[in-house]
Amino acid sequence: MSAETPTTDRSASATNRILDVDGVDSGYGEVQVLSDLSLHLNEGEIVCLIGPNGAGKSTVLKTVFGLLAPWTGQITLRGEPIGGRDPADLVRDGVGYVPQVDNVFGSLSIDENLRMGGVARRDGLEEVIGQLYDRFPILREKEGAKARTLSGGQRQVLAFARALVMEPEVLLIDEPSAGLAPSIVQDVFENVQTVNDLGTTILMVEQNAREGLRISDRGYVLDQGSVAYEDDADQLLDNPEVSRLYLGGADYA
Amino acid sequence: MSALLQLLVNGLVFSCIIVLGGIGLSLVYSIADFANFAHGDLMTVGAFAAFVSAGALAGVLPDVTFFELPLALYVGLFVGMAAAALVAVGTEWLVYRPLKNAGSIELLITSIGVALAYRALIQMQFGSGQRSYAIDRQGRVEWLFDAVGVALTPRDFVVIGLTLALVVGLHALLQYTTLGRKMRATADNPNLARVSGIRTREVVLAMWIIGGALAAAGGVFLGIDLLVRPRMGFDLLLVVFAAVILGGIGSVYGAMLGGLVIGMAHELTPAIPFVGVEYASGVAFVLMVAILLLRPHGIMGEPA
Repeated sequence: MSAETPTTDRSASATNRILDVDGVDSGYGEVQVLSDLSLHLNEGEIVCLIGPNGAGKSTVLKTVFGLLAPWTGQITLRGEPIGGRDPADLVRDGVGYVPQVDNVFGSLSIDENLRMGGVARRDGLEEVIGQLYDRFPILREKEGAKARTLSGGQRQVLAFARALVMEPEVLLIDEPSAGLAPSIVQDVFENVQTVNDLGTTILMVEQNAREGLRISDRGYVLDQGSVAYEDDADQLLDNPEVSRLYLGGADYA
Repeated sequence: MSALLQLLVNGLVFSCIIVLGGIGLSLVYSIADFANFAHGDLMTVGAFAAFVSAGALAGVLPDVTFFELPLALYVGLFVGMAAAALVAVGTEWLVYRPLKNAGSIELLITSIGVALAYRALIQMQFGSGQRSYAIDRQGRVEWLFDAVGVALTPRDFVVIGLTLALVVGLHALLQYTTLGRKMRATADNPNLARVSGIRTREVVLAMWIIGGALAAAGGVFLGIDLLVRPRMGFDLLLVVFAAVILGGIGSVYGAMLGGLVIGMAHELTPAIPFVGVEYASGVAFVLMVAILLLRPHGIMGEPA
């Protein structure tokens, strides 16, 4: 199969599934948001979830991460069912999550934020924090400052770094570019790519659909709580129907 | 001048008691997200536990005193702190944990019920009368009076000194230990704390233990300063609330500062012309309102 499509299939290890979401219904209280949703992540990929407001993109991440319990269906991590498990356990099992808003501890220092990201680590905390400071020098520069004093872009870097202290296998990122000035958005996507290059599999929700798909291997288009399209990211970008319905018309970028 | 200084020192003793009560109230508000009306009665629980244990230990322990207070009372203080911590944890387990999906208002109303239950249980055992710790009457410390003209009893020293030690200890815990950072992180952003892998249960337990123990210390100090009564904590609760709100509810350091200000204001009432001491609490509340008009979220509080 992969031999026939060498140009588009960047997910070389297509059989090596790390996360599987199978036929999941989920929502808030009585309100159903996801219905019969299925998707998967292969090891080493960046997968982007796009779709209109209210399609349930963030709900997917919250359900996978145990912030919401799936009503029906199965979620497995490397074949082990994880549906409805507590986030504190998932963090220990190698899943990280970067929320869209309120994703730093404002009254704690940068250093303390990173330490809180590593509460579940048994050892190597100092080393990994040192490495993150090397990778994101702005954080070292402001090490002792309270996180609330950071700019929007810097906060996003800290939010990433906090989640990376656990060195997760899978990182769930909710709209990393939301609320940021266009000039910084590119930096944020570069960071996502760097993290992926270092071996972390990424499931990302992105409102900025074209930009998000450009750095992704595959994409899912969500509409009304179900998957409307799934394909390689470049195929989705080229798909005229997807382009017209979900990407705001032709690509002028 | 020395009269004013005397009032300030009196205020400091009262402030200590308010601060110790206020810290727990603020911790519960910031981490468990509700105004705990049972916190004053938790102070009473601590004071009575100390009363019982100090009484029982008086014949057993050697008859020595520090700052003219018997050793049994110091041990009683620790027993009282442990007992109130235990009662707080037990209440969390029995009452608040099963209600974990309830909102802040439901929990507030529940805590009023808890307060009544604490008080009723104490009154069943001890009646509604007042008691006092077995302390000899103390005179002022002469050298201090000669030096600055302020009359302070040895037990005032104990209250101020131990409060300072507890507050510094709490500060060290919050700033320099992992548990303290987890507590601050959970108070700051509970959702992110969960997402980061912090086990919130551990933090909630620590909060009740610390809040309960400090409340008990405040209760015992109030008993040392005045009397041990079943309503002692409840009668103090409004003033403690005023201090916590003034300092910025949810902020531990705000509670300390607010406690200091309100305690002082309370005791400085005699210095205000035409205002009788009966209005001491009123003065404290007027001050609270005045400061809130300038800083609506309290001195150390932050806009939501």
